[in-house]
Amino acid sequence: MNWINAIAQGLLLGGLYALFACGLSLLFGVVGIINLAHGDLAVLGGYVAVAILPSVHTNALWALLFVPPIFGAFGYVSQRTLLQRSLENGPLTTLLVTFGLSVVLQNALLEGFSADSHSLSIGKLATQALRINSQLSISYLRFGILVVAVVVLAGVQLLLARTSVGRQIRAVADDNEAAAISGVNTRHIAGIATGIAFVTVAIAGLANGMYSQFTPTSGSSLLLFAFEAVIIGGLGSLWGTLAGGCVLGLAGTIGAQIDSTMGTLIPHLVFLAVLAVRPSGFFPARAPA
Amino acid sequence: MTAGTTDDTPTPQPDFGPVLSRRTLLRGAGAGATALGAGWLLDACSSGLKGGSSGSGKKTITIGFVSPQTGPLAGFALSDNYVVDTIRKSSAFSKGIKVGSKTYDVNIVVADSQSDPNRASQVAKQLITSNKVDMILVTSTPEVTNPVASVCESQGVPCVSTVVPWESWYFGRGAKQGTTFQYTTMFFFGLAEFGKTFIPMWDRIPNNKKVAEMFPNDADGTAFRQGWPPLLQPKGYTGVDGGAYADGTTDYTAMISKFKSEQCEIYVNGPLPPDFNVFWKQAAQQGFKPKLATVAKVLLFPADVVALGDLVINIATDAWWTPTMPYKSSIDGTTAQQLGDNFTQATGKQWVQSLGSTYSLFEVAYNAFTKASDPHDAKDVADKLRTMNYTGMCGALNFGGGPVPGVGIMKPAGVQWKKGTGKFPYDLKIVDNSANPDAPIEGDLEPTNA
Repeated sequence: MNWINAIAQGLLLGGLYALFACGLSLLFGVVGIINLAHGDLAVLGGYVAVAILPSVHTNALWALLFVPPIFGAFGYVSQRTLLQRSLENGPLTTLLVTFGLSVVLQNALLEGFSADSHSLSIGKLATQALRINSQLSISYLRFGILVVAVVVLAGVQLLLARTSVGRQIRAVADDNEAAAISGVNTRHIAGIATGIAFVTVAIAGLANGMYSQFTPTSGSSLLLFAFEAVIIGGLGSLWGTLAGGCVLGLAGTIGAQIDSTMGTLIPHLVFLAVLAVRPSGFFPARAPA
Repeated sequence: MTAGTTDDTPTPQPDFGPVLSRRTLLRGAGAGATALGAGWLLDACSSGLKGGSSGSGKKTITIGFVSPQTGPLAGFALSDNYVVDTIRKSSAFSKGIKVGSKTYDVNIVVADSQSDPNRASQVAKQLITSNKVDMILVTSTPEVTNPVASVCESQGVPCVSTVVPWESWYFGRGAKQGTTFQYTTMFFFGLAEFGKTFIPMWDRIPNNKKVAEMFPNDADGTAFRQGWPPLLQPKGYTGVDGGAYADGTTDYTAMISKFKSEQCEIYVNGPLPPDFNVFWKQAAQQGFKPKLATVAKVLLFPADVVALGDLVINIATDAWWTPTMPYKSSIDGTTAQQLGDNFTQATGKQWVQSLGSTYSLFEVAYNAFTKASDPHDAKDVADKLRTMNYTGMCGALNFGGGPVPGVGIMKPAGVQWKKGTGKFPYDLKIVDNSANPDAPIEGDLEPTNA
């Protein structure tokens, strides 16, 4: 029964990892940016909630209403001003620019909020769970995060597949110049795609804040898990990202069940093994998304 | 990040004026580099000369104070700035410390370790080379005290640590039984006192004598893992080790399942505060409800407690100082109650245990300096520290009579978090004084989960 519980908790944890990885996967698959500031942006989302929440409501779930839209606008603007310019200079420049952004964000948060850790309070919901039996229980919070991850991934998938904006985004991703010749405003479309990616980052950051605590420098470990989930799942594939997140989560909880000192090591070993055996991941994208 | 490292010593910045051309920038940078280089040489010379000719008319005693004012351990340091201010204003320090016939001004330099061991040793080196401190006081967990104490021991600067289990401080720095550190001393307590505080509380709650142990793979966790079993066995308790997990683990399913399947009814730990936050929430989700949780290193302070909410009610821990303990300052007679009340009045915050321990650091420094023949004579001051024996804000402390040389032992009381009755959401109440009969009982010991 302990094993079943470990598997259940691993899948639930996978939801959080997948939520993190979604924005990273989208930005890489569609816009072609490897965003090294991804984890720090998620942490920034948490801090935006910490700063604004007291004037809205004590329950952090309210932050889901206002932080993601702010991030959407932020994403669009940063694509049009900062990222697009670096993109035109080649892939190495975007790496450097996002790395720089990561350093700037961490230090700005340190200045603004000090290095103290924060947590987003959602009241009793944080500890309540559905008791299936004495050994197996499903936390509402963790289950909620998994559901949100699935909804976000499905939503992004639908948007790309079924809407006119989605078609334009895919066109830009496939061939930027051809799309431009056909009359697509490519910069505007790339801005929208980045905005969507930032919305998912904000949701992930809030989920993380409710799940545990965060500090200005906790972004790098989040980036690591997001990267591993994307690579295991297959670059640019959204459902692969969900699978990747779940594989990581399972590796962690099952590893800890075997030996508690292994809980943090095994996910990284699994990641290395996938890189060695199947470098393109389990579900490599044929077309982006 | 320069925030908080040097309170009293502004760093001169070259002024480039309004127009910053490439040339002036380069020139400025060159000058800066030269200045840095020269400073480095001067530092090297002066530290080389230190022991020899210290009485060159310098009539100031400089005390360095290191604590984790930001980062995951920031809760420990919440009251430190208030205590340093109080100490600076106290007549004993503001009028200068009298050593023999001379009176010395006192300069206290505060440094922030940012909860990072590397940063801690860095600021200790800075205090020694740039501020020329005569003593370093350091507080709050081995992650802060050990790197600072190691630097002090190697540089020959007297140092007093507190709020660190003595085993983590002593063995954690590579000492073997019989080793004596010459310059570094400390006061706090160790595993024996944890045992004397926690086990009588367990005995008062009927239970099956199975103890869930959550000890991480770090300095404190390792010391606890080795130290608890010999304390448990004579009292008939059996420990269930949850495994040496890494600090920062995000999921505790395996550990919780183990505690549940072993049916542990007592819980003891020594984690970092954010990890306990994740663990305790998950334990509640998965239905691990020990009859009595006695925690170490976490929930010592109100800030952590508020982050967990009502889940903290009736969790027990140790208190090395409370305002209700019948103690008073050895330098100006302030009572513990006054210190606590003044803190709340000045900051609007609830009292914290580190008020007492940080205050006592400065009492110890004061006593050592007044007894020494020359406050700049590091060996003499360190001698006075190792034989320190006085009664003050934290009760009686005897550095010569501890388990190893230079370690003074405090007597903690057993306390529980209760729903607040006054201004604050939760109150810390003394519920058991087996280890420290001085402490007045303020509430009933109740099970964490009935």
